[in-house]
Amino acid sequence: MGSVELKVGGVGLGTILLFTLVANVIPQVQSEVPLEVSFGADATPEELAEAGSQLFHGAGGCTACHAESAGARAPNLATDYLGAGPIGARCGDRVPGMSCKEYLYSALVRPQDNMVEGYPPIMPPVDRTMSPAQIWAMVAYLESLGGQVTVTAADIPQDAGGATGADAAGGGAMAGGAMALPDEPSEIVRTLCTQCHMIGGEGVELGPTLEGIGAIRSPEEIRQAILDPPSVVRDGYQDFVGLMPLTFGQQLSAAQLEAVVRYLAGLR
Amino acid sequence: MTWNRLRTHWPLALAGAATLVLVALAAQPLWAQGFQYQYQPGQYGRPFPLVGSRVAIWVTAQVHLMFAAFVLGVPMFAVIAEAIAIWGKDEKYDRLAREFTRLLLVAYSATALWGGLLLFLLTTLYPALWGYMAEIFGYSMWFYASLFFLETATLYLYYYGWDKWKEGRAKIGHWGLGLLLNFWGTLVMFIANSWLTYMMSPPGDVTPDTAPAQVQFWSAFANATWMPINIHRLIANAVFGGAVVAAYAGYRFLKAKTPEERAHYDWMAYVGNFIAISIFLVLPFAGYWLGREIYEYNQQMGVTMMGGFMSWLWIVQAFLIGVLFLAGNYYLWLGLGRIPGGERFAPYTKYMLAVLVVGVMVWATPHSMIADRAELAAMGGTHHPFLGVLGVMSAKNTAVNLMILTTFLSFLMYRRANKIPRVWWADRGTLAQGIILGVCAVVVLFYGVYGYFVPALVRIGFSVYQVLAVLASIIAVVTLDLIIMRGAESRGEIRWGEMPDRAQYALFVLVVTFTWLMGLMGFARSGIRQHWHIWEVMRDTSADAATPALGYAAIVISACVLIFLAMISFVFWIGGMIVKPQPAAALTSPSTPSAADGTGGGHGLG
Repeated sequence: MGSVELKVGGVGLGTILLFTLVANVIPQVQSEVPLEVSFGADATPEELAEAGSQLFHGAGGCTACHAESAGARAPNLATDYLGAGPIGARCGDRVPGMSCKEYLYSALVRPQDNMVEGYPPIMPPVDRTMSPAQIWAMVAYLESLGGQVTVTAADIPQDAGGATGADAAGGGAMAGGAMALPDEPSEIVRTLCTQCHMIGGEGVELGPTLEGIGAIRSPEEIRQAILDPPSVVRDGYQDFVGLMPLTFGQQLSAAQLEAVVRYLAGLR
Repeated sequence: MTWNRLRTHWPLALAGAATLVLVALAAQPLWAQGFQYQYQPGQYGRPFPLVGSRVAIWVTAQVHLMFAAFVLGVPMFAVIAEAIAIWGKDEKYDRLAREFTRLLLVAYSATALWGGLLLFLLTTLYPALWGYMAEIFGYSMWFYASLFFLETATLYLYYYGWDKWKEGRAKIGHWGLGLLLNFWGTLVMFIANSWLTYMMSPPGDVTPDTAPAQVQFWSAFANATWMPINIHRLIANAVFGGAVVAAYAGYRFLKAKTPEERAHYDWMAYVGNFIAISIFLVLPFAGYWLGREIYEYNQQMGVTMMGGFMSWLWIVQAFLIGVLFLAGNYYLWLGLGRIPGGERFAPYTKYMLAVLVVGVMVWATPHSMIADRAELAAMGGTHHPFLGVLGVMSAKNTAVNLMILTTFLSFLMYRRANKIPRVWWADRGTLAQGIILGVCAVVVLFYGVYGYFVPALVRIGFSVYQVLAVLASIIAVVTLDLIIMRGAESRGEIRWGEMPDRAQYALFVLVVTFTWLMGLMGFARSGIRQHWHIWEVMRDTSADAATPALGYAAIVISACVLIFLAMISFVFWIGGMIVKPQPAAALTSPSTPSAADGTGGGHGLG
């Protein structure tokens, strides 16, 4: 191989290396598969809303349009909108004769029926991509944003957990009110906690990082933070109190909870 | 490689080693992921070892498409060159067309091999998907395969009949074979495009419950994104063919032993680059049409593409296209050095460079920042208080249109460099050209700024006005220039071969960037389906259903580019063994047709 080949190869490899690096230094966002859910007869409103929240903020793709920023493509649902409050507070007044629950379900599966003035008709009917259980979980979550969750397990048709289109996708599934989770505590943490916390280089920087959490929190404090998040708040995160779900105590079995506590306490 | 050479070129060797280490390290997660597969009989075949089924299909399809782009792009190039040879009576274009048709023979085999591999991988790794597609498109698949007989026969006749049919009507007939070759190739591409676009945009009445036998063939074939993809790929293939030709010529230039050889390959590189960059200027418009059709088909898909998890992909794309604009213009500006009279344009290049750099920076500005809590607090939201303004489409469209206009200006300078117009109104004509370009820039800027004060739906329509202004001004200026330069006097002949070596490296950057961009756009097109094999019809239930982030995709794309470039180098090497190239003897002849004559040659010498 001559010097020309070396130089040409160097330029080529250098250019490829540069592009690879650029694509790796920007924020890494993976498109997740919507979590398939199924609920037992004793599923609580909190569990329904939590499942809906994960869909709304994750694979449901809702926040791409329903953002909180000004100029979003679709109405802001999470905080106040034109003085009427978040969606859970205003949904009952949107269409005369329709309850909040009915309106939200209709807005998800027949969005063109009751468009919000000033916005283009871009909302797709979600029943092509979501199962009935997912849709009702979403309704429960939207109701919880400033309102009372009135969705119950009875609203969800029997055998409605199956995904539309094909077999159920992978991911955790709720059954009988408890979430089917991996056995390994590290995998449980990966499944649940990295939605909002960074750990092992993975996750989202919304809540405080869990790197080295065992060095600054005792196992008791970690357990309390999981079961009652507002009681253990790290400095600088006071504004985010309320974001962490209160339902992990119901979703995790006692053995799972203790395994997770031991795992996190061991991170130093 | 000797030790002395390694000592001399250790930075390059280091860069190469670093790239290999990076790719090896980065590939580790791919291997790891490959082992996570659950065997699902019926729906999915046994997982592909080491890298997994998704990466296996991804790499095979992408490399196949890169070769396909080459074997579809080069015949366009060859048939244009042969037409110039026939009607421009310039034999060196004939040699150029023949030289590249020879390379086609080997590249064609490589394309077919990768296509065959793709077919076997699809049928064994994704049998359910393949079965579904075959039930709808079975007839077109048979027709597609049959076309290869015709295409192959035409290619052989075209290449091996070159000497036999070289005079008079026979030569026209030979050129007709070139056209026919392009026709078969285009037909093949259009058919294959229907399959992949069906996966993106199946007709709205097809649901998961629709049996494939119930799907109407033509509505599936001519689906919503089929024609936009056809046009986009047709243009991109011509660009890619030109870029590969230019890089090949650049390499031969660097290896040339005689001034004649240098002159020949310098000229060939110019022609290839001219075709690549000039056609590339049209590509954003085709891309815009495709994007619009995607939004029309499904808003959610459009939003996912532009504002969802893929939004950062367009920042990387902007970076790549910035590299293309900068490298393409740099090559042209260096080329002015070999044209008598070209030096008078040199002072303007720094201003053009400034426009390009600012344009790239605006284009690469993200709108909604993904940031941590502290950064969001510092910015006061997801949008940067100042830069956020530049991240919207109004600013980006303005930037890219001004970059296109600047690149067109580079071509114009190049074309006029050694000419002295002889028409009496030449000064006024030039002034009129300046006014047209100036007005166009004002129109583009006006709609860019006005876009901030109108609703989004109105703003989207403004980009059409900006595009039309640029296209109209290019057509008007070129038309005027043709008339002004009729009978123009020459300042001197182009000194082909007197091109600095660094200009050739710009061509290598161009071809690598084009290839990488092709891989990135392949990921974008396929990735917007997210966890669907067929959008909202057949769900991906495999372990690979989640669409990976850009960093992961970049590693796979880089692997594809490395494989393709290594194999195409091998093809060129083999091609060089078949017949030694015959450098043109009279490259300094003042008969080089001009770019604006539509010939793709060097600028006219009058």
